[in-house]
Amino acid sequence: MFLVHLWNYIRGYVIIIVTGRSIERFINICSRRQILLWDIVRDDADSASMKASIRGFRLMRPAAKKSGCRVHIKKRCGLPFFLYRFKRRKGFKLGLIIFSACLMLSVSIIWDIEIIGCKPEIIPQVMNVLILDNIGRGSFKLKLNPKNIATKIALNVDQAAWVGVEIKGVKLFITIKDSIEPPVLIKNNESFNIVAERDGLVKSMEVYAGRPLIKEGETVKKGQVLVSGKLESKNPEFGTRDVHALGKIIARTWYEESLPVSMIYTRRLKTGNIHKTVYLRFLDSRLKISGGNLPYEMFETDTVEKPITGPFGLKLPIGLTVENSSEIVEKKVDLTLDEAIDVSVETAKENLRKRIPADCMVVDEMVKQYEGENGTIYIQVIFECEEDIAGLEPVLE
Amino acid sequence: MKRGIYRLKGARDNNKEPGESLGEKLARLFEIPGEICGNRPKVTAIGRGEVLIENFKGIMDFQNDMLRINTYNGVIKVTGEGLNIREITNEEIIIGGKISNIDYDA
Repeated sequence: MFLVHLWNYIRGYVIIIVTGRSIERFINICSRRQILLWDIVRDDADSASMKASIRGFRLMRPAAKKSGCRVHIKKRCGLPFFLYRFKRRKGFKLGLIIFSACLMLSVSIIWDIEIIGCKPEIIPQVMNVLILDNIGRGSFKLKLNPKNIATKIALNVDQAAWVGVEIKGVKLFITIKDSIEPPVLIKNNESFNIVAERDGLVKSMEVYAGRPLIKEGETVKKGQVLVSGKLESKNPEFGTRDVHALGKIIARTWYEESLPVSMIYTRRLKTGNIHKTVYLRFLDSRLKISGGNLPYEMFETDTVEKPITGPFGLKLPIGLTVENSSEIVEKKVDLTLDEAIDVSVETAKENLRKRIPADCMVVDEMVKQYEGENGTIYIQVIFECEEDIAGLEPVLE
Repeated sequence: MKRGIYRLKGARDNNKEPGESLGEKLARLFEIPGEICGNRPKVTAIGRGEVLIENFKGIMDFQNDMLRINTYNGVIKVTGEGLNIREITNEEIIIGGKISNIDYDA
């Protein structure tokens, strides 16, 4: 029944009032002429109200004449009459067109890109590939070919084992599965020596292949051959055989750093003044709302993003960015000798920690103090480490 | 008025000839539902609020409490309260309202 009502509404109908003495006759003629009438209600002795389609109403005139009834419209209902009202309102039509165009446009572009399933280091690489291809927020969905994008990412990002690209609504989902790097293959048919990567005292050796030239406890220099790739037979008739030398040479190594001790130390202090700048962020561009120019010469900035979440946990492209800049003043402080030495040792240690290789184990730390030429005091920090100094070098014929 | 009388006479004529036509006889022979062959009316009452009459000729009288429908087998009178015609086409009429009587030969 609902469907019938809907159909009638779409086609449009009129509620008419028929007055006359022989309304029955009018109804009979109408039904015989295929004019559909419905919801006929007798109002009083010589009038009845009923509904008829627009087409039916047009064909009704002869029937009314024949039965001597008068027909007039009480109400026009349905979509055609509703639309007729807007026929002359050009602004409304224009707005409707603009609105639907905007809707179509906003639905047909990419609003967000989500990269899932990979290490965070890969994400910039993936983004680079997308930028090179001119794919980003605002690209048209129709122009994008997910298969092509996936192939391009898979080709250009080495660590990606598998790439899936999917467009869901206005979001571009990129799923990446990391690949595990293949181990370095050792070619057995090439001959290699093991040489020392740096000076040190050999503590222990594990030689898997090759002929060791040194013993434990010996001091080695950088570049010295430790394990030879040439195997010599005891019987000189068999000659030599080239192998790929392999092994671990654990040695003690020393790293040192010297620094002059300065009695004056500059300390960065926060004055406590905070300047707040608020930006309105839309996609990647932002607009300053409040906070003028920064009044400070030196400052540290702390940025807080405040995204606006829509209903159902939707991330909207609009948000606020608050930058808290705190003023900083450099103050020169006079230190005592002990304090000054402590500060220098700490800086030297930090510098050393940056210098030493990652697989290096610090065994001992030593601090020495000596006086320079013009009275300045120097400190020297020495790290004693244990590390594998084996480096590979091809045997030169 | 003259027309009305003529119509009533017509209805009675139909009533006086209850003999079956050939189509109706065939229909009975092959057990085909009667309303398919011949033009005998089919009255379907759904609950108390809806009566569907198929194969009718026309309405004769339409009031709020009484409705008379001319069929090939005589006049069917439907009485009740707040009667209305839900839908009327060439073949069928749906009557709504609170129905208390469906009378033949009225």
